[in-house]
Amino acid sequence: MTGHGHARWRGSWMLLPGLGFLVLLFAAPLLMGLLGSIGIGMGQGGPTLDHYAQFLHRRTLQVGLLMSIYYGLAPVPVTLVLAIGLALLMRRPFRGSALFSGLYKLPMAVPGLIVALIVMTLAERGGLLDRLAGPLGLALPRLVRDPWGVGVIMATVWKQLPFMTLVITGAFASIPQDVIDASRSLGAGRWSTLLRVELPLAMPGISAAVLLTFIGTMGAYAIPDLLGPAIPRPLAVHMLSEFGDGHPGLMNAIGVVLSVFAMVVLLGYQALAGRARRLLGGAADGKDTP
Amino acid sequence: MVVVMTRSEHGERRAEEALLRVEGVTKRYGASVALHPADLSVAPGEFVTVLGPSGCGKSTLLRLLCGVTEASGGTIMLAGQRIEALPPERRDIAMVFQSHALFAHMSVRANLGFGLRMKRVAAAEQARRIAHAVEICNLGGLLDRMPAQLSGGQQQRVALARAVVMQPALMLFDEPLSSLDAKLREGLRDELVRLHRATGATSLHVTHDQAEAMAMSDRIVVMNGGRIVETGTPVALYRRPRHVFTAGFLGHANLLEVPVEQGEATLPWGQRGPISGAVAGAAAGARGARVSLRPEDIVLTAEEAGAGRITASCFTGASVQYTVQVGQRALRATLGGAAPLLEVGQAVSLKAVAWPLHALEEDRS
Repeated sequence: MTGHGHARWRGSWMLLPGLGFLVLLFAAPLLMGLLGSIGIGMGQGGPTLDHYAQFLHRRTLQVGLLMSIYYGLAPVPVTLVLAIGLALLMRRPFRGSALFSGLYKLPMAVPGLIVALIVMTLAERGGLLDRLAGPLGLALPRLVRDPWGVGVIMATVWKQLPFMTLVITGAFASIPQDVIDASRSLGAGRWSTLLRVELPLAMPGISAAVLLTFIGTMGAYAIPDLLGPAIPRPLAVHMLSEFGDGHPGLMNAIGVVLSVFAMVVLLGYQALAGRARRLLGGAADGKDTP
Repeated sequence: MVVVMTRSEHGERRAEEALLRVEGVTKRYGASVALHPADLSVAPGEFVTVLGPSGCGKSTLLRLLCGVTEASGGTIMLAGQRIEALPPERRDIAMVFQSHALFAHMSVRANLGFGLRMKRVAAAEQARRIAHAVEICNLGGLLDRMPAQLSGGQQQRVALARAVVMQPALMLFDEPLSSLDAKLREGLRDELVRLHRATGATSLHVTHDQAEAMAMSDRIVVMNGGRIVETGTPVALYRRPRHVFTAGFLGHANLLEVPVEQGEATLPWGQRGPISGAVAGAAAGARGARVSLRPEDIVLTAEEAGAGRITASCFTGASVQYTVQVGQRALRATLGGAAPLLEVGQAVSLKAVAWPLHALEEDRS
């Protein structure tokens, strides 16, 4: 083996810790899930595509995919508007801003199950909100286990808002102040500058935050299980239910479908973001000449 | 010509002529003062440079004029109207930034048209102005490119063109050339002067580069420590600075403490001559004054009995710079490159040729 070959091998060995971590915690469970979905392992009979056939024939599961997409998408606009508002609010220091910027991140540390229980306590029929509205003569609509999943959306917004705010705050902070000042000096007011300059420039960060929120919410099960309607249910809840019913193959097949969908969305985003990067950040093709 | 509300010995104009008039404008951040009350005026078509070291308050002054920073006090009049309370978008001022500040998500064409769209300029007029700016800023063929696809020089020309299309009452330049390399800077400096002549736009330019200020400006406003120190034409400020700071900041100067008697100063090598300024007319008794003597205003002649001795020399082609020890002082003197070379260690006589000397005022800051 040549010296060059040795160097290459040494380089490969150095990659092992990182690569091993990915294989152990990401690729291996995914592979096990994939194998499980085609009847291999977990005490199943052998290779089969029956579980995928079941998925295709069970309408509740197909509707479940739509529900997963709905629960992934519906909280996004609300969270996005609130996160942008909070990011803009925290751009300039105000009295108590240090305390506020610490407090708003708290929901990130609270598990989804606890969030669901909090929302249930607040918004369930006979809950705190209902009791507060009662003396005022107001009757609140059904917010928990309602057909539109309002409770799920409320809980998801509460849970995801800090993360999205954090990412969007960073995206705004990366815009040079000179660019904002240039926009103002060219005749754009505060809102025009926000809409025409700051939001487009912060879009890579915003879109990444939206994507990660969407994918994270789409796979959540605790919040939709506790706060969503009994029918239809999202795929993550179906997975849990199939596991409980002793159908690991179908559970894995549902998981693979959900993962593939998330990957398709992710790859689509990567393709779009790459195109945008090439458009906005293409290398200067001229020499540094006047 | 610039009219400066503070004292100025050259070419003052009446305040009525000023397009921009700044009176007592100040900026404080808590207890710290970024800009002490500043007064200055700029006449229509003038190119004025605010010159000073980093942190002297020159960019703060520009940002206050533009409106992106709020003044703590004072008034700003532009074309006869008070503007200090107006937001930036309602001031008829365009600014070119050191960082270019182009909108990375817009093509060159969209960057140039941005301000015109914001001001709701008619489409035909937009097209006409953009075409004109493209021509004078030499941007042909770049309109459909994105900023990231341009070189540093091209980006700066787009930033200039973006301000030019606005046809503002006042153009502000915040160190627009300082992010470019030396060769490119020189080229764009000439372009900026040409652009100013072509558009006739009243311009206020900020820089810490004294060569840039001298080459480009009708007038220079020297700042230090958040104050306007002195204002004048490049020639007047260089040859006859009034303040110690100006003398030291503009080029190399020999700052000398000289005794003054009967209106005459005595230089360290014994040469006597008239002195103007506050000290000159003072009493008959002996007084001291600080004066500035430029290296090129000292003539050296090889002479064994001379008062000075060459301690260092630097030949640059067009000139030779000498360091001359006179008593305890080391002075700089510059002779033309064609003059006979003097050796290190050689005794020389010195002769000042810039009379009368001018007594410098001490800085307030």
